[in-house]
Amino acid sequence: MSDALLELDNIGKFYGNIIALQGVTTEVNAGEVTCVLGDNGAGKSTFIKILAGVHKHDEGTFKLEGQGVNFDSPREALDVGIAAVYQDLAMVPLMSVWRNFFLGAEPTKGRWPIQWVEKRKAKEIAKEEMAKMGIDIRDTEQTVGTLSGGERQSVAIARAVYFGAKVLILDEPTSALGVKQSGVVLRYIVEAAKRGLGVIFITHNPAHAYPVGDRFLILNRGQSMGNFAKEEISQQELTSLMAGGAELEALQHELEQATTGNGS
Amino acid sequence: MTDVVTADAAEAESATGDDERLSFQGVFQKLFIRPEIGAVLGATAIWTFFWAVSIPFGTAGGASNILDVSATLGIMAVAVAMLMIGGEFDLSSGAATGALGIVTLLLVRDVTGTAGGLGLHLLIALPLSFIVALALGWLNGTMVERTGLPSFIVTLATFFVLRGMKLGFAKLIVDQIQVGKMDDLKGENKGYEFFQKVFAYEWQRNDHQWALRDALYTGLVIVGLSLVVIAVYELHFKRKAQHNPIGMIMFVAGAALGVASVAILHLTDDTAGNWFGAIVGLAAMLIGFLGLGVWRYEMRGDRGTLKMPSDAVRSVGIGIVLIVLGVISAIVLDSDSNEQVLPLTTEQGLRAILFVGLSALGFVSLMVGVHQAGRVSRMSASAFTVGTAVIGLLMAFFVQSESESEKFRNEAFSIILVVSALALTWAIANYFFQNRGSSDIHIEHLGTRIAIAGLLIFLIGMLIRLLFTVDAEIEAGIAPAKYSVRILWFVAFTIACSWVLASTKFGSWVFAVGGNKQASRQVGVPAARTKTQLFMLVSVAAWLVGTLLAFRINTLQANTGNGLEFEYIIAAVVGGTMLTGGYGSTIGASIGAVIMAMSVLGIPNSNWNSDWRFVFLGAILLLAVIGNNFIKTKAENLR
Repeated sequence: MSDALLELDNIGKFYGNIIALQGVTTEVNAGEVTCVLGDNGAGKSTFIKILAGVHKHDEGTFKLEGQGVNFDSPREALDVGIAAVYQDLAMVPLMSVWRNFFLGAEPTKGRWPIQWVEKRKAKEIAKEEMAKMGIDIRDTEQTVGTLSGGERQSVAIARAVYFGAKVLILDEPTSALGVKQSGVVLRYIVEAAKRGLGVIFITHNPAHAYPVGDRFLILNRGQSMGNFAKEEISQQELTSLMAGGAELEALQHELEQATTGNGS
Repeated sequence: MTDVVTADAAEAESATGDDERLSFQGVFQKLFIRPEIGAVLGATAIWTFFWAVSIPFGTAGGASNILDVSATLGIMAVAVAMLMIGGEFDLSSGAATGALGIVTLLLVRDVTGTAGGLGLHLLIALPLSFIVALALGWLNGTMVERTGLPSFIVTLATFFVLRGMKLGFAKLIVDQIQVGKMDDLKGENKGYEFFQKVFAYEWQRNDHQWALRDALYTGLVIVGLSLVVIAVYELHFKRKAQHNPIGMIMFVAGAALGVASVAILHLTDDTAGNWFGAIVGLAAMLIGFLGLGVWRYEMRGDRGTLKMPSDAVRSVGIGIVLIVLGVISAIVLDSDSNEQVLPLTTEQGLRAILFVGLSALGFVSLMVGVHQAGRVSRMSASAFTVGTAVIGLLMAFFVQSESESEKFRNEAFSIILVVSALALTWAIANYFFQNRGSSDIHIEHLGTRIAIAGLLIFLIGMLIRLLFTVDAEIEAGIAPAKYSVRILWFVAFTIACSWVLASTKFGSWVFAVGGNKQASRQVGVPAARTKTQLFMLVSVAAWLVGTLLAFRINTLQANTGNGLEFEYIIAAVVGGTMLTGGYGSTIGASIGAVIMAMSVLGIPNSNWNSDWRFVFLGAILLLAVIGNNFIKTKAENLR
């Protein structure tokens, strides 16, 4: 436990008298993927926002490499190596891949006021870093708007990795993608973990989470429904836990009845 | 000929089995998706149009007038384009030009009124008004950022405030609605003599004779254009591993023949001489450029078969009919008659319009045909291009033999001839040599550098011709032309802004805050600061323009510049800047300003009532937006 990259113990967050999150415990190890599963309104967004420094947690402890932290701003989280890749990806669609890759941290040469961006170097690095993720962007001058959803995701991930992220938080990276594209993104997730990052993969799709995850945290209505290592749980159990087990069974029963009713 | 690349790229891709979603972009495709391409094409078309119908256009005097009018408009348009790329508008920019000019005047002039001017030295006054400019921009930017209101509303308010302040203060301090006069400072030891040179120096063309001018001009223009064409070849074709020395010899021989052909064309003005020179020139191009190909590029494997797709045949048919109609109207109508045939034009003018317009449309249709043929096979594309080029060559000689006016006989003739010959060579080279299948950063750098060097040499050649005169011209009684230093300010400002936009951090951030403010904030771009700096850039440009105006016309009216903000926005939009931000070009904006200046001058020059210019402006704006939108959609599909 002590060598975990990120350690959360009984984290809670309240908005006034609304309990957004309570009793969440999990850990993220370097080179592992921790999946956070939950339906809409389960508290996933609040969870990410605490990790990424957008909100502060109100109870419990949040340790990064054994040190307790409580961030004041996303910048602070970023500085210690926690990078969040949000659903909207923080990209400018009309700008080229390399400009997006380095946006806000362009490598420059010369001194103010004659200071210019090292375009060639930037392009080469962008291409290289993308290649490391297993994606071949041949022309980094392409605008991001022309990339497919999966490729955009990979640019965002590669960018976070290049700029020294230790913990990578991915917010529903597969939710807007087709089957094949989702597979591609899942591969990037494994790739990022292999390179020694701790990955937090947030999703509502157990079929996406199970194959890549090493650890699963299940949230429902702001409460933790459990925190399992992969060997402790099967995909079936994961699915039913997430949907609130009994409810799903009841639904299944109802649907069956409806179809047989129609048939007769 | 431009679009044959599409089919090639597809062929190359399927052959090499590279990433199927990302096809190689040809040189012309890359050019075609630049934001400023619409403005460049538009400027060329409008210039050609006015050149054909009006007499002063195309002379050094005409050029100096166009540049002079575009300078002040263009400086503002470039700054406004940057602001628009950053996603904001500044409606106070027009009024600010006059306001800042008046501030300078009030600071330097000791005027009689209730309050009076300050009578400062220019060396103090100019920095002071510059600071006022910075403050104005900062105020605009901060208000927009703090209130979160659309900049349209905030700067509309600033516009009215400035407008009122100009009138109010002018009346309060000078007791009238005009503030003057800058040139009263002459001899008052307030730095007027020096700053007058900086802001309003004029170069008198007729005072600068240079016997070498024509030789230098011709040489530089040809060398420059050849370099551009070589760069295009270099960027387009696939290099081979082993260079072939025979090709190099052919290339050198071609260059030598080229020199010979220029000499022949230069020394003769009769049809036989022109024919001979043209044939030598064509041979020079074919030998030279095909030599370049043999020397450096790989041969093409599969060339496809000759097919005649019906849509291509139809386009070519329409093209030929249009060109024939143009030629017929040129023959039927009288080129000497100044009789009014239509409310707007003389018979002579109508002839020029019909001929230029119909044949231009015809060639566009022919090019569409080439593009359609290019979709079928390499062979068809080359065949159709050769056909188009031959029609072009015939056209050149028709112009040469039929036209009464010397500018058509010399300039139009040579331009059509050269373009057709280049197209012909291109078609043949494209038939024989393989184009590149993938992008390569090193080849692209080299090609781009050659192209830029070529363009610079070409421009220097043109500049020499514009700036200097020769004895023969003076003896022929050429109208004097003068160039104001404001043109230099315009060019320098455009280059500086373009560099900032393309090559600096700040430039990247401008695109980012205009394209997706939320996202750029998330990755650490200081969005509010960037936007405020853009507003300050606009007001600094307004300060520059106000100063230029003050030194040029000495007395500024209180309403100077009011209402011009929309012209700046039009110039920026014509130049390919998107109204929604995140996309655009400063070079485009400066060309947009030149287009507007051409319409300001071309309409009276063509003996039309200048009231029509607004109709013209409106039409240009609409066409530009439609055209740029088309290009953008096309660009997104191509990528």
